[in-house]
Amino acid sequence: MASSIFYLACVLGIATAALYLLVRPGPRALKLGATVVGLGALGWLVQQFVGMLGGDDPSDRPGVIFFIFSLIAVASAVRMITHSRPIYSALYFVMVVLSSAGLFLLLEAEFMAFALVIVYAGAILITYLFVLMLAQQTPGEDGTVQSPEYDRIPREPAAGVAVGFVMLALLSEMIFSGVSTELEAPPVAEAEVAAWQELEQMPGRLNAEILKAEPDFQLPPLANPQTDQLIRIDDPGDDQVAYVVGLLADSREPARVELPDSAMPQNIQRVGWALVHQYPASLELAGVILLMAMFGAVVLAQRQIELSDEEKLEAARAHQSARDAANGGGA
Amino acid sequence: MMLAAIENLGSITLSHYIFTSALLFVIGLIGFVTRRNMIVMFLCTELMFQGAAIAMIAFGRFHLNASGQVFVIFILTVAAAEAALALALVVLLYRRRETLSAEVWSELKE
Repeated sequence: MASSIFYLACVLGIATAALYLLVRPGPRALKLGATVVGLGALGWLVQQFVGMLGGDDPSDRPGVIFFIFSLIAVASAVRMITHSRPIYSALYFVMVVLSSAGLFLLLEAEFMAFALVIVYAGAILITYLFVLMLAQQTPGEDGTVQSPEYDRIPREPAAGVAVGFVMLALLSEMIFSGVSTELEAPPVAEAEVAAWQELEQMPGRLNAEILKAEPDFQLPPLANPQTDQLIRIDDPGDDQVAYVVGLLADSREPARVELPDSAMPQNIQRVGWALVHQYPASLELAGVILLMAMFGAVVLAQRQIELSDEEKLEAARAHQSARDAANGGGA
Repeated sequence: MMLAAIENLGSITLSHYIFTSALLFVIGLIGFVTRRNMIVMFLCTELMFQGAAIAMIAFGRFHLNASGQVFVIFILTVAAAEAALALALVVLLYRRRETLSAEVWSELKE
């Protein structure tokens, strides 16, 4: 077992060294070699993690999809921090966002997956791209755009990668020595029970659903509202039935109303309920933060830059020479 | 003990997701430390947000609790606010010095 830890440490170390070579400016062949080594290390990790790729069990398929998505995410994240053109970095970040949206889908967080794509890839990243284009370098003498020096040469790559390695080592030690290695996703049936229990916290909706099924039904008062369950589950398994027991209003006869499957709160309903029921103050605060960010951006963007006369001359000269270079290149 | 746990992994467990999110977070950290372009530095913080978001959603799913997704909504809010303000500042700074290098602005007094 100790040797296994040694192996993992070695592989992570190799991957870190490869990352160092990628971050650092260097000859192309070296970078290619580092990419191959890094991919090999990642592949070893995946092979260690998988161990079940050959299985015919279709329930293993989400595992394979998980590895595909996380490989894409990690590889494009590495490419993002190593690319010398910021526009490409931003586009690789879009890849990271898309693949983590895929991971969200695997985790049955559909609403958040689409919100991530719309808000992140659709809005935030476009803002980044706009600013990158606003701040683009003018073409050089020969009309080609040369990445500026601050994009090509990183700052302290060795120290940065070493810090990252130590942090990753600590994090993975925590992750793999905790209980989470045994924690598998709860089965669907359990998730459904949890969803039904959440319906119980929404009295208006529960009443509406019951009245739809049985117009003159009266909900019984609970003897002990803290512990008693209104909604009971029959046959907890794949085809479970949720029902409510109460009285009919006119005949005072006991009655049992089965809740239709459509009454079960969906993911987005549960998120919305948690948002307004458990975290209303945070929701308001988030609104205030967005408002303040909007004001701040407007105020900042309004500010005029006062340039001195020499600076204006300098800027005009740079502009003119750039235009001359462009015209000369065209002719 | 650690690798024994890994070898026993028959299916995807919570630690798979958290390890992915840790990888993304650390890559974002390395990028933030090593890049010198201000915009790319901010992109790297977004990468760290992304790692945190995956961890939140995974915890929420594995403990059958919607709070994880609610936190991701707040992460999105903060990321949007950060992007708006930071990019406005970057545009302002760029207009003054015509460069995106973070080192030019190591002193902000003027």
